[in-house]
Amino acid sequence: MLKIKNLVSGYGSVQILNGANMKVENQSIVALLGGNGTGKSTILKACSGIIRTWKGSINFNGEDIQNLPPHNIVEKGLVQVTQGKDVFPAMTVLENLKLGGFTLKSKQTLNDNIEKVFNYFPRLNERKSQLAATLSGGELQMLCIGRGLMSNPKMIMLDEPSAALAPQIVLDIFKNINKIRKDGLTVLVVEQNVRMALLLADYGYVIKDGVINVEGESKKLMYDESVKDSYLGGGGTTANV
Amino acid sequence: MFKGFKLTRKLENTLMLVFTLIFLGYISMSPDMNLESLKGVLIIGITVGIIYGLVAVGISLIYTGLDVVNFSHGEFFMLGAFTGLTVYNFLIDGELIYAIFPDAYGWVGYVIGLFFAFVVMGLFGVLIERVFLRPLTKKGGGYTVAGMGIIICGFGLSVVLLNLAYIIWNPTAHPFHADLGLPINIGGVTLPMTYLWMLVTGFTVAGALYFFLNKTKMGLGVRAVAHSKVISNLVGINVPLYISIIFGIACALAGLAGTLVGPTYQVVVYMGYIILLKAFASAVVGGFGSLPGAIVGGFTVGLFETSCAFFISGSHKDAYAFLLMIVVLLIKPTGFFGVQVKMKA
Ligand SMILES: Nc1ncnc2c1ncn2[C@@H]1O[C@H](COP(=O)(O)OP(=O)(O)OP(=O)(O)O)[C@@H](O)[C@H]1O
Ligand SMILES: [Mg+2]
Repeated sequence: MLKIKNLVSGYGSVQILNGANMKVENQSIVALLGGNGTGKSTILKACSGIIRTWKGSINFNGEDIQNLPPHNIVEKGLVQVTQGKDVFPAMTVLENLKLGGFTLKSKQTLNDNIEKVFNYFPRLNERKSQLAATLSGGELQMLCIGRGLMSNPKMIMLDEPSAALAPQIVLDIFKNINKIRKDGLTVLVVEQNVRMALLLADYGYVIKDGVINVEGESKKLMYDESVKDSYLGGGGTTANV
Repeated sequence: MFKGFKLTRKLENTLMLVFTLIFLGYISMSPDMNLESLKGVLIIGITVGIIYGLVAVGISLIYTGLDVVNFSHGEFFMLGAFTGLTVYNFLIDGELIYAIFPDAYGWVGYVIGLFFAFVVMGLFGVLIERVFLRPLTKKGGGYTVAGMGIIICGFGLSVVLLNLAYIIWNPTAHPFHADLGLPINIGGVTLPMTYLWMLVTGFTVAGALYFFLNKTKMGLGVRAVAHSKVISNLVGINVPLYISIIFGIACALAGLAGTLVGPTYQVVVYMGYIILLKAFASAVVGGFGSLPGAIVGGFTVGLFETSCAFFISGSHKDAYAFLLMIVVLLIKPTGFFGVQVKMKA
């Protein structure tokens, strides 16, 4: 579904990604792990077109999409949900969702998709006419994921969906990510919550210094010494479970 | 005002109220004060106010959408007035309108003039944005990086447009004799038809803009882009296109306002300067970047200015708007509807 080859990119003149290679199979969940500031979000931004690809290629569904305008990438079915739970705070939950379906042509599909999102996250239904600014952190994350689903994407990229949320909500969100995949989507998820992410995902990549350092089946990664050392925290220092 | 000294919301509002009361008390002691003149001042103030509001809404729209204060906005107002005037003269003086509609009245020509001012300035705005501003806003990869260059570009654009207008229409004032009928009497106040047109058209357009922004899909897109280009990109909005739309709408509103004002005053190449400053003051008073704020700010400036000119002294008419702006900035720096911090993704 998504093939990233030798991706080089960055901000201004600062190069962050130094030739990253990744592959996401159709209808799988792939986890992208790595320490802070290693370039996880940067990979997603290059895929969704909000920063330029300097070198290398990003192939989605058999088509090269690097450096296409972001709205074309959304139309092709690849959607990014950003890290900061970014919503339109001065708009209602419903308006936020409608914006998620901006590329849809038919009003019927829009309404169907809103129903679909409410099925995943019933809480949003209860809050639909509330301003997004008044939502709790968990609800905001649900809104962001829901908004990402609105455009009928083939693949969704989630940037740290569990950040700063209570364990109960994290569990709920991860269950829903699994459900989303069961319903036919492909998911790329960036996570700090390494143990949870590897439990959820089929395959994992670990990025370090802008290149993929380790990769493998999630079950293998969980017992990989280097991953264990750096993330699953032998001493428990960087563990985040 | 003082370093580290910050007024609370409540204190701000109290001070604003005190200022308003002092002001009202002051003008009520004026020898010219009576019910008749008060009614007149109210109607005129609101009429000028809606014009300031329409131009200020454009400035705020461009500010939220492009992250830049458009210092050439007054020129679109001026060019709009000339567009309306030219179309009107072409239709009426050339008797063209009577050839098509033998029974037509002057207002038919005026409506067509307004329409052209709106559309031509809208398209011209899009052209200016694409050709002159786009290369600057694009720098840095996104559309949020707008720096000093674009501000200077605004000033430069203003000078260029002014000089172009100067070459075409020379610096003399052009009378705009819109044949709109006899003045009418509203509640004892005799109002020229040109004022009624400003009032009715102004409110209609402001209402239409509200409907557009809040009830249509394109309006939703405009609001989204105004808040954050990055999230708008990620939900699949064609952001560059919407930036053009925003700039176009703002310029169209200014052009329309120009033709609305034209018949009351005269059409002259310098008319853009003073309206820019008044509209800027309105936007600041209402809260920079807020669209309802721009309209309310327009009314406030219009009413304040008109009542000062009438009850205090007419000789400093243009200074009152700035007096008000300074007072509001001192007491309530965010303006009436101001956003404290603009959230940027
Ligand atoms: N807009 C930007 N401008 C300049 N540098 C940036 C920008 N965004 C990120 N960076 C830099 O790029 C590097 C990688 O950032 P990135 O956001 O991809 O990290 P990350 O792996 O997602 O980290 P985190 O887990 O903290 O989210 C960092 O060193 C960061 O400082
Ligand atoms: Mg990140």
